[in-house]
Amino acid sequence: MPPKGSKKASAAAPSQTLVLDNGAYTLKAGLVSANGAELSYDDCAVIPNCIARSTRDKRTYVASELEHCKDFGELAFRRPVEKGFIVNWEAEKAIWEHEFMGAGEGLRCDPSDTNLLLTEKPNCPKELQKNCDEIVFEQFEFAAYYRCIGPALNAYHPFSASSLFSLPQECLLIIDTSYSDTTILPIYNGTLLQTASRRLTVGGKLLTNYLKELSSLRHYNMMEETYLLNEIKEAVSFVVPSAQQFATDLERTWKGRQGDKRELDSSIVVDYVLPDYERAIHGHARPHDPAQLRMRRGLQPLQGPREDLLPLGNERFAVPELLFNPADIGIQESGLSGAIMEALSVLPDALKMGMLANVVVVGGNSLIAGFMERLETDLRALVPAQYLLNVSRADDPIKHTWLGAARFASQPERLRDVLVTKAEYDERGSTWLGKKFTTM
Amino acid sequence: MPHVEVLPNSAAHIAPGWTYVVDTGYDPSKVALNPKNKKRAAAQPRVPRGENELSSRQQLAIARRIAELNRDNDPSKSIEIPGKAAVPKTQNARRIIQYQRQIKHWLDDEEAQLAQLQQAPQPRAAAAASRLATAPSRRSSTMALIPPTASEATTPGPALPAPAPAPPKPRNERDDERLLSIDASMPSSVNPAELQALLSAPPLSYAASHASLPPVDGPPRRHFCDNCGYWGKIKCMKCGAKVCGLECKDAHEATRCLKWA
Repeated sequence: MPPKGSKKASAAAPSQTLVLDNGAYTLKAGLVSANGAELSYDDCAVIPNCIARSTRDKRTYVASELEHCKDFGELAFRRPVEKGFIVNWEAEKAIWEHEFMGAGEGLRCDPSDTNLLLTEKPNCPKELQKNCDEIVFEQFEFAAYYRCIGPALNAYHPFSASSLFSLPQECLLIIDTSYSDTTILPIYNGTLLQTASRRLTVGGKLLTNYLKELSSLRHYNMMEETYLLNEIKEAVSFVVPSAQQFATDLERTWKGRQGDKRELDSSIVVDYVLPDYERAIHGHARPHDPAQLRMRRGLQPLQGPREDLLPLGNERFAVPELLFNPADIGIQESGLSGAIMEALSVLPDALKMGMLANVVVVGGNSLIAGFMERLETDLRALVPAQYLLNVSRADDPIKHTWLGAARFASQPERLRDVLVTKAEYDERGSTWLGKKFTTM
Repeated sequence: MPHVEVLPNSAAHIAPGWTYVVDTGYDPSKVALNPKNKKRAAAQPRVPRGENELSSRQQLAIARRIAELNRDNDPSKSIEIPGKAAVPKTQNARRIIQYQRQIKHWLDDEEAQLAQLQQAPQPRAAAAASRLATAPSRRSSTMALIPPTASEATTPGPALPAPAPAPPKPRNERDDERLLSIDASMPSSVNPAELQALLSAPPLSYAASHASLPPVDGPPRRHFCDNCGYWGKIKCMKCGAKVCGLECKDAHEATRCLKWA
C-alpha cells in the first residue's frame, strides 16, 4: 500500500467541480473551476428534476427534454426527490446520466476527473445520506466529493457587491421557501445552527396541489393537470399585505347570497384562458368578464372564438396565504413569521439580533407577488422594537444557493479541506464518510 | 329466571336474524344500537364538543387531505425510465438503485431507529453529547423576554413618585441619557461555550425539526366555506364543515359532505 501522502497528491488533480443543488423540482448545476474567476447566475443551468410521461403523445421526457414538450395535458411526473431528499436513485441516476455524462451538448463532465459538491436539505435521514454517498462513489465514481447543507453555503456570498472578502458572513438567517417545504436556517460563520433550524410543511408543491383541488371542486376536474395548475399559480397568485386586506379582498371576490348576487370585482377576479394545446401551449390571464361566464352556462349565445376559461377569485390569494396561516386548512403549525421567532428563541440574544439584521429569503415561493412585504410586516410585529430587522430577497432566489455553493467551490483552499477522495472512501467506507460530513 | 332452550328438531329451521335470548332487563350496550330519536341524535352529540374541537372523523379527513396535498409521487402511476439502463457497477449500487421505497418509509425507519436508541442504554459519551444538544432547546426564552435595561435594573420602583397606577418603567433624571446610550439595548456578548455547543450540536431528526403547534393564545382558526372559499358562517349539521350560505350548502351536500364518506 502506498503511503497516504502520495495518494493525496495524485488525487488532488481535478480542478473542476460539478456544483449541484439537487432540488425536488429543479436541478441547479454548473461546472466551476478553481481559478477564482468571477461567477454569476448565468453559470447555472436550471434543469427540471423529473421524468414526465404524456399519455397523449406516448412520449417520455427526461429532465431537460421537457422543453420540447408541446402538450402538457395530463402530463404525469416522476420525481426522484421527495421532501427534498433523493429517494429514488433509479430515476435520479437516469437524470444525472442524461444531463451530465456521456456524449452530448451542454453541461458534460467525466466524473473520474471531476469533484462533486452536492447540496442537500437539512435533517436528512442518515440512511438516505448513506445511499447517496455510496452511489456517488460506487456508481458514478467521482474523483472527490463533498455533501453539505445547501442553504448554509449562502454565507459565502460577498456581503456587498464591492467587497472581495472571502470569509463567510457571520450571522445569516436563511428562509428557504422551496418546492417541498419551507425551512428556517440560522447560519453562523457558514455553519448551520442545527438546534435552531425549523421546517414548515407548506411548500410550492402543496400550494399547487391545493389550487388544483380548489379548481377541480369549483370548476373543472383538473386533478391530472399538475403542470397547468403550477403555471396558473405562478401567473396569478399573490400574497395579501395583511389580515385586514385579506378580509376586504375576500368580500370583493364573493358571489353573494341567493337572491342578492354581487358583481365580482374584476380588479381581483381574473379569467385564465386555458391552453387547448393546438393553438396555444401556454394560457394567460385577463380581467374577469361576466358575459363570458353567462355564455358558458348557456344563458347567452356564444360569440367569438371558442375558449375555456377558469375564473380565479379568492384562490389567487387564499392559496399562498397558507404560507403565513397554515391553520387555514387545518395544518397544526404556526405561520412563517411565528416559526421564525420560535426557531430563534433557542439562540442567545446577541445571535438573535445578528440573525434578524440579516434575513435572506431564497426559494421559488418568494417570487409570489407580495410575499416579501407580508413577511416583513408580520415579522416586524413580532420582533422587539429595538431590534434591527432587515429582510431581503436574493436577486435570483432560485439560483442563489447554487451561486453560494459555486463561490465556495471556487476557493481551492476551502474545497481542499472538505473534499473526500474516492481513494479515502474505498479505504474507510460509507459509515466513516457519513460521520465526517456530519461533524464537519 | 325462566330457562329457555330451543331444542333442535327436524321441523324447525334456524332462521337467520333472530333468536331467543334471555331477557335480563335494561342493557345500556343495546340502547346505542337502536336509538329512539334518530334525527336528534346527530344534532346532539352525547359529549358536547367545544366550538373549535373537531371530531375524530374530521381530524382524520384533514390529516388525509394534507397528506394528499403534500404527496410527491402518485404511486398508482408508474413511469418507466426510457432506454436501456446501464448495469450498476457494484452490488451495493444495484441494491440502492432497485429500492422502490417512498420517503415515508425512510422517515418511519428513522423514527423507529431513534426509538430503539432511546431504549438501549447509551454509552456515557453519547449521553453527555445528547444532553448538551438538548440543553439550549430547553431554555424557553421568547423574544418578549428582553434582558432588563440598566435603568430598570438599578432604580428601585416604589421609591419614586408614580403618576399612573404601576408604571412599567419608573423614570428618574438620568433616564434620558440612559435612553440615548445604546449600551442598554445591546445584548451581552455570546458565551463562547454556549456558542460552541450550538455549533457542534448534532442535526435534529426529521420529525424533531418540525415547527411546533400554533400558540394556544394566538388568534383562533379562521373558517372558510367548504365550497366557495368565503367565510364559513354556517356549520353543516351532518359533518361539521363550514359553508357560507344556502347555495353553497346544497353544493356541499351534493359533493363533499363527509356524513357518508
